[in-house]
Amino acid sequence: MNCFGFGFNAFGQISDRGKPSQGDDEEHSYTCLTPIRLKHLGGREEVAECQQGRVGTDQLSACWSRTASLCLHDQGRVFLSGFGADENGNHMSASLGCQDALLGERYLTLGFRDRVECWDVQRRDPAPAWSMESPPEEEAGASRRLPLVPGGYIASKPPFYRPLSPQLKAVSLALGAEHAILLSGSGTVFTWGIGSHGQLGHSELTPEKEPRPVEALWGVPIDSVSTGGWHSACVSAGGDLYVWGWNESGQLGLPSLAMRTSQEQKRFKGTASCQEAGPVTRGEEQKEGESQDVFISIQAFPALLDITDSCDVAKVSCGSRHTAAVTTTGDLYTWGWGEYGQLCHGTASSSDEPHCVDFFRQEGFRVVDVVCGPWNTFAMATKEEVAHC
Amino acid sequence: MAALWSNISAILPPDEAGFPLQFSDSVHSSVAELLLRCRRRLYTDRSLRILNPRDHALTLAQMVTDLSWERLNTGTWRDVDKEWRRVYAYGCLFKALALCRGDPSPERVRQAVRTCDMGLMMGASIMDNVLNSLVQILQTEVRRATKEEVPTEPRVQAKKIKLEVPPAPVIEQTTAVPRMNCPSLERFKNNNLLTNQPVILEGIINHWPALNDHSWSLEYIRSIAGCRTVPVEVGSRYTDEEWSQRLLTVNEFIDKYISVKVDDVPVGYLAQHQLFDQIPELKEDIRIPDYCCLGDEDEDNITINAWFGPSGTVSPLHQDPQHNFLAQVLGSKYIRLYSPSDSGRLYPHESPLLHNTSQVEVENPNVERFPEFVDAPYRDCVLKPGEVLFIPTQHWHYVRSLELSFSEHHHLGVR
Repeated sequence: MNCFGFGFNAFGQISDRGKPSQGDDEEHSYTCLTPIRLKHLGGREEVAECQQGRVGTDQLSACWSRTASLCLHDQGRVFLSGFGADENGNHMSASLGCQDALLGERYLTLGFRDRVECWDVQRRDPAPAWSMESPPEEEAGASRRLPLVPGGYIASKPPFYRPLSPQLKAVSLALGAEHAILLSGSGTVFTWGIGSHGQLGHSELTPEKEPRPVEALWGVPIDSVSTGGWHSACVSAGGDLYVWGWNESGQLGLPSLAMRTSQEQKRFKGTASCQEAGPVTRGEEQKEGESQDVFISIQAFPALLDITDSCDVAKVSCGSRHTAAVTTTGDLYTWGWGEYGQLCHGTASSSDEPHCVDFFRQEGFRVVDVVCGPWNTFAMATKEEVAHC
Repeated sequence: MAALWSNISAILPPDEAGFPLQFSDSVHSSVAELLLRCRRRLYTDRSLRILNPRDHALTLAQMVTDLSWERLNTGTWRDVDKEWRRVYAYGCLFKALALCRGDPSPERVRQAVRTCDMGLMMGASIMDNVLNSLVQILQTEVRRATKEEVPTEPRVQAKKIKLEVPPAPVIEQTTAVPRMNCPSLERFKNNNLLTNQPVILEGIINHWPALNDHSWSLEYIRSIAGCRTVPVEVGSRYTDEEWSQRLLTVNEFIDKYISVKVDDVPVGYLAQHQLFDQIPELKEDIRIPDYCCLGDEDEDNITINAWFGPSGTVSPLHQDPQHNFLAQVLGSKYIRLYSPSDSGRLYPHESPLLHNTSQVEVENPNVERFPEFVDAPYRDCVLKPGEVLFIPTQHWHYVRSLELSFSEHHHLGVR
């Protein structure tokens, strides 16, 4: 298994090149425009071999931090890269024996067999900022992952423990900047939190205090859910992708006026000595006139998004303002905000259309999983045995 | 061009140590570190061997603005930590400075103006309002550069088409808002402010420069604020489905929405914006009426909003929590007022976001859906330049501009 990262790297969360001590003078170190193999994960060549066939033992954990990334090894060790990371590349000693980990903007949550701990990542305290006993679950099939814990979930800021009704039978939960999405055992999707950008999918922009089922998805069994900064996505058991929320940077894969306008301005900026202003306005006017009603700024209920005609979607993950999906054929597609290279389309630019990341196909990799950081993207891939065509 | 940078240097602290960068604990230390990197770049740029120092500094500053922009858009605006608004302002400052380094093209200078405006609109005031000082310098530069350019085509203004202006409704004697000419403060206080009675005040703003030697016209506004970026509401009323907000320069706004009037072009409106804090030169042309200072709040708590738009813009019937003095500077407006005691007949929207707004189209009411509306008593008026309408707190008001119109609302907090 190999893990690759691309996108925002100003704190060295993907590659050491971003650290100020390593290259303040290097221009492009702040972003990784091509996928970099993560040294803490899968990059250990000597063990790579024996791990063949044991797909998914090492985990790249979800991280909601713009400044660091997180790797969780199968032996229960957490490696932090980026701001606040150990300078010698060692694992976090407090993490020894943990089974799951989750990184937020400020706190690192570690899940152990019998307890949960939250550590403040910017203060090097000797003890966790908060901890809680959590008895091992009776059911054997406890495959639930953080932020879910027995009886509730762990939030990214205090109060850390928040109870959930047992009736929800939560199997997975994703936390966005200001909203949450929960998948129940029956495949129903619930959302709550702030809804100002349509991110709750209830066709309204009002907030919800308690988990509320997304009615538009009623009867569609859902397999996995994900949240971005102001958008949400889920994949149905049948391999369909649904998206809703803010489309400011094209993160829904739907036509975005804001994204195209800023793109337009960029293009004119690029052609150095052009006789500014005039052409920009005209270009914009034309476009508005042609297809004004097609642009979508806020999609307040789930929309079915076809990213390819030929295959289904297996996984989806949302960044702050971008989205990445893996197809059943092992291809990675990305769309949305791309200014820091998080889309890996060869340039650092945004796109409101899903495009395939050619790198993996070209290098003979089959993508099996993807996890977005707010401004970057991490993909797990296996070497393709038989050439794909 | 070197003069530009020396003018800018003059408003900055002389060295890195004198440049304040203090933030509370709510700002992540990684962001604070990025700001330190920006500051270091600003003062040590020339000594380093960097391929393209300006772009490098620009990238750093862009990261700060992107990080804080996401913070500013998280949660409701009033809950946003002021520290993050300060970070955003610093990000904009460093970005604007990076754009002006070296020998900036006129386009770069314009981008720097836009960046300052973003900081002024969404950021908090930093370093004694340094963004405002910076934008003044840049505006002078833009004006200088524009003068050198030979105009290639006549101003769009020349081909302004006179439209069939929607007729001004006839004001009946029975419904007309009462008028007073320069009443004493005492009289206004007792007859109107304390009793919540609307009135048109005449003769109280005739001395404003905006109505005299700085008479506000499109050309004057262009010359003062043409290159400044402002939020524009597109769509004739904010309750419409297609309503949206866009950021445009004042020149773009005038060209696209005011000077040309084609049927297809949606109505654009510069509304509810604290333009006078952003562009203090315009504030110098107006005064705060003495009548505004009778409230419990001190002068600093009076917010002044600008409303600038073509004919036909409509503010749907709504109410505000503050007293409101609507001063008309340019053009005229038709305004209708309903007392808060008649709220029951005005059919406010049910959604919490719009519960202060009526669902009724005032001048074309749907009698079947809103049968009681026609029975609600009202007062109305056509407000002309030099007149000020006092709208008491919670009074429902409907406003339609009858021609190109510039007015400002002085909002007065009510305890």
